[in-house]
Amino acid sequence: MAVQALAPCSERVQIMKDPLGHSFEFCYQCGLCTASCRTAFAMRYTPRQVMNLLQLGCEDEAVASGSGLLCTACYSCTFRCPRGVAVTDMMAAIQRRNLASKHADSDLRRFYRSFMRTIERHGRFHEVEFMTRYFGPNPLLLKAEFGVGLQLLIKGKISLNAPAMKNPKAVAAMFRKAEEIESGP
Amino acid sequence: MSYVYYPGCSLSGTARECEESIQSVMRVLGVKWTELEDWNCCGAAIATGVSYLLSLALPARNLALSERAECDLVTGCSRCYLNLIRAKHYIQHNANLREDVNAILAEAGIQYTGTARLRHLLDVVINDVGLDTVAEKVTQPLDSLRVAAYYGCCQGMWTYAQFDSVEDPTCFDRLLGALGAEVVYFPLKTACCGGTLSMSKRSVGANLIGDLLAAAVASEADCIVTACPLCMFNLNSFQNEAGRAKGTQFHVPVLFFTQLMGLAFGVPPKTLGLHRNAVSPDALYKKLAAGAASSAEAVASGLK
Repeated sequence: MAVQALAPCSERVQIMKDPLGHSFEFCYQCGLCTASCRTAFAMRYTPRQVMNLLQLGCEDEAVASGSGLLCTACYSCTFRCPRGVAVTDMMAAIQRRNLASKHADSDLRRFYRSFMRTIERHGRFHEVEFMTRYFGPNPLLLKAEFGVGLQLLIKGKISLNAPAMKNPKAVAAMFRKAEEIESGP
Repeated sequence: MSYVYYPGCSLSGTARECEESIQSVMRVLGVKWTELEDWNCCGAAIATGVSYLLSLALPARNLALSERAECDLVTGCSRCYLNLIRAKHYIQHNANLREDVNAILAEAGIQYTGTARLRHLLDVVINDVGLDTVAEKVTQPLDSLRVAAYYGCCQGMWTYAQFDSVEDPTCFDRLLGALGAEVVYFPLKTACCGGTLSMSKRSVGANLIGDLLAAAVASEADCIVTACPLCMFNLNSFQNEAGRAKGTQFHVPVLFFTQLMGLAFGVPPKTLGLHRNAVSPDALYKKLAAGAASSAEAVASGLK
């Protein structure tokens, strides 16, 4: 296969201002996305089925299924799609709606929010702050992570100091503006 | 060629061993760069789950900073690379997005014009430094090692699309070959390791990691070599869980590619951060030492 500037289908990938725009309308249900997906086995609706649900107007069903939460954003589906559907971005879009809904798994929602809040404050990732935010409200979660955490600490891979970005306020301002645009009309 | 280097959060934190080896190997290869000034997190695999615009604006700020520096932007983290190139591509192809992203960047006092040049570290090593130069620096050929070259997923496709085949990249095999290592058949070379699922959905993540480890074991590889710090973390730190998911036990050393390069260049393991790897690479050192001894013997017997 010839090497192209971006991908075999780069000219055709539908990049939407809102990824839940109309990209899925191009899907003709071939299933190459599902065949390429490493986590489809664990999904209630596979990526192809999710595209179909969106085509049928059953967005809520797609969001509630939690399939988007299992997407690792490896982009294999998007790269291979013969119709240029931005499958990964749509899986991310239903993931976002799931996490924002009242049905969201509260631990998982906190996982995402703790990460973003840490970035908002420091501009860069800060392990200790993330862990305090994530594990604080439900320390039972620590049980599964204890081994890995301890090992990281012993191997000197967790810095206790906050990251040293000179102008973290710039990043915080970007967060505010993004929220303003996204919650706008 | 002048570069600005974007380490990203992993390389300056939980993937310190990768960063240590990158810096020492680049010294050996004579690659000089300055760190991208005041870089920020690219949003990792998390930002897309919270805000579409932030998932593009966070990497765009780094792209804009590199435009200011007028240098190629190099990153050694495949996830950072993915987010950066995704932002670059999306902003280029959708004028509405470009407008929104620049409105967000204006709050940080910067604008993105679209001229940033983005490079993956592997691309720099293979195409700018060149495999001939890499081979010249080898003082301890890895002839006795069987290595599984793990390209990684999104990275696999999006990264290698820039300078290699999308579906069947071979650049990594050629690099490891230049070090003298034997690259084994590894059919899952571009299969995803599960990314952050190892933490957010442990049972699914462990299965994916287990598949990769099992494939390396089936190919009788002495180690897996990766070009992504998140793959590195997953494959190293979750071998117990992966073993439980697959009903077996794994003990497969997993190295970052610059760690293996450093070993071939004769850099001490500690300088390469190898003591920080979750799975101890001791078995590799023994095999390398045995290999070196037997080749010395062969030379000696040839002289007789």
